Amino acid sequence: MIQCPNCRVEVEENANFCSLCGEPLFSAAAENNAFTKSGRLRREEKILTDYQKLSGFQKRKIFWKISAFILISGIIVTMLIDFITHQNITWSKYPVTVSLILMINFTLNTFLHRKIFLVMALSFLSMMIFFILLDMYVINSGWKIHLGIPLILIAYVAIYFLIYFIRNAKQKGLNIIAYSLLALGLLSLTAEGLISVYSTGDLHFGWSLIVLATILFIAGLLLYIHYRLKKATDLKRFFHI
Amino acid sequence: VKADTDIASDPGKFWFALDNAAKIYPAVITENVTNVFRVTAILKQPIKIKQLLKAVLRAEKRFPYLCVQLREGFFWYYLEHLPRHIPIEPDEHHLCRKFRKGSLLIRIPVSHNSISIECSHILTDGTGALELLKAVLVFYADECGVAVPTEYRSGHSAVISEEEYEDAYNRYFKAEIPPMVKRSKAFHLPFPLKSSPRFERLNAVISLEQIKKISREKGVSITVYLVAVYLYILQEIFEELNGAGKFKRNKKLRIQVPINLRNIFSSKTMRNFTLFVMPEIDLRLGHYTFEEILKSVYHQTKLETEEKLINKNISRNVGSEKKLYVRGIPLFLKSLILRLKYYSLGTSQYSGVITNLGKIELPEETAGLIGYFIMTPPPPNKMLKINCGVAGFGEKLTLSFGNITQSQEFEKKFLQFLNDQNISADTITIK
Repeated sequence: MIQCPNCRVEVEENANFCSLCGEPLFSAAAENNAFTKSGRLRREEKILTDYQKLSGFQKRKIFWKISAFILISGIIVTMLIDFITHQNITWSKYPVTVSLILMINFTLNTFLHRKIFLVMALSFLSMMIFFILLDMYVINSGWKIHLGIPLILIAYVAIYFLIYFIRNAKQKGLNIIAYSLLALGLLSLTAEGLISVYSTGDLHFGWSLIVLATILFIAGLLLYIHYRLKKATDLKRFFHI
Repeated sequence: VKADTDIASDPGKFWFALDNAAKIYPAVITENVTNVFRVTAILKQPIKIKQLLKAVLRAEKRFPYLCVQLREGFFWYYLEHLPRHIPIEPDEHHLCRKFRKGSLLIRIPVSHNSISIECSHILTDGTGALELLKAVLVFYADECGVAVPTEYRSGHSAVISEEEYEDAYNRYFKAEIPPMVKRSKAFHLPFPLKSSPRFERLNAVISLEQIKKISREKGVSITVYLVAVYLYILQEIFEELNGAGKFKRNKKLRIQVPINLRNIFSSKTMRNFTLFVMPEIDLRLGHYTFEEILKSVYHQTKLETEEKLINKNISRNVGSEKKLYVRGIPLFLKSLILRLKYYSLGTSQYSGVITNLGKIELPEETAGLIGYFIMTPPPPNKMLKINCGVAGFGEKLTLSFGNITQSQEFEKKFLQFLNDQNISADTITIK
């Protein structure tokens, strides 16, 4: 028996560490220690490939580089073809704009991954610019600005709240499906409202109410199953009076 | 409400409601008033850690219903089984610190030659924690190769009876007993508080023989004797106050003395089962001599520990919890009310606490390993300021004064008084 110098309890003579306070007891441990450490390292190296060893950010960055390469070469190729055949930039401005907007969104997702609000806001801004640009390319009624941007806005808001709820859910399961359905229902309701205001000038709801009612029923059922039925015994504990 | 599942058959579903005494604690716990107390055994030799770890595992198996965590329900808190081992940790943290959410309500701080059980009062009282500590010590002795009686050795295979985790107050509750009258406010010590973490203790070992002899001469028990000393010192401190201080303070000195109801009603419960007697002296009637205090405390405790009166107290405490309109209040409102009541009906009524674990008995061979026990009371709140725990073992009686003030005047006077009565006290520091 030897005594731990820190907490002064007695430990086994061949122990490397005190099992109470974790104080290292270096009587025979120096090379032993090195061996266990290297053994652990070797095991880690064997299991993981190079790609698995990368952090999430590094992986996203690789994806970003590849997509950027494809998109930029695509832009150059389409512009060249367009320029050679027409001596001017004509149809190629569509794919080029789409590619640039995609690039912006990939970049946002790569570098601002955790800052969900910022990503969503900037991404919405890029979509708005996209719609305005389209409207400028083709001079017509301007529905893209009056209908398209509000629709996109509510879609973004709905997705933002969906992501927020999913991230904050303690237990992920059926509740995720329920939240998604609810977002879809609310989205269709507002979409129909916007479309009716845009086309006829007054607000009325038809099909979206039916969609919402069905979705509410199903989502309610899913939430009930998720939060209550799974822990039926807990109800008794929780509400004991 | 009774636990509705058997701990042995399905630990995952095991839960029980808080017992009557524990109900108030979750509402009043703070970083400083933790309601965590400690029972310590000081061994004669350094602890053998491997044997202790094994002993604790065996004790856990014997008392599985102590491995629970506190959960919030809609109407009440409840205790739910938590499949974790009781943490054994080096004794280097602050004394009696609060238990975090989602942890067990027991821990075992160990250092050099001392084993302690720190336990939340929500779970059990001193007697319950002591039973656990005794089991750990007996198993430890067994692991160290010391002879242990067979009934202890087979400990964990013994059947765990439901009585051990019952709410014993409920069993002895009788309806239709008139409620208690409210007491007036009591005197509180005038010392300024320390800054947080503020709880410290002073341990003193005195000879059990000496104090037993003296209290026997006076014809009282050790507890009554110590309560009388406590009151006498409080009186001295009161009388030393200047005119204004005397005038504005309450003039009733009252000591809360927990009594173990297991000695009065039969129950094997390992949860709270204590009530209080509160002997008092009224300083408006003039100066008391020590003999007068002794006589008064003796008769008051005799009267208050009568079974009928105890019944009345249980009924008062349990009765209010049985009323439907009380039960139906949501927990967060209930906690608010309990917190207010805790100070107005609880602490404001007494000036000090002295809690005596009594003489601790162990199998002879196990007892041979142990020097003495210490009962450290839970940190007193800002009104009470000082309290005292007492534990007797072998030839030694230890006093442990819990203190959150900047002054040690009370303890010094207390020990000086004992010294004057020919009871010598050695103060000890652990570590």
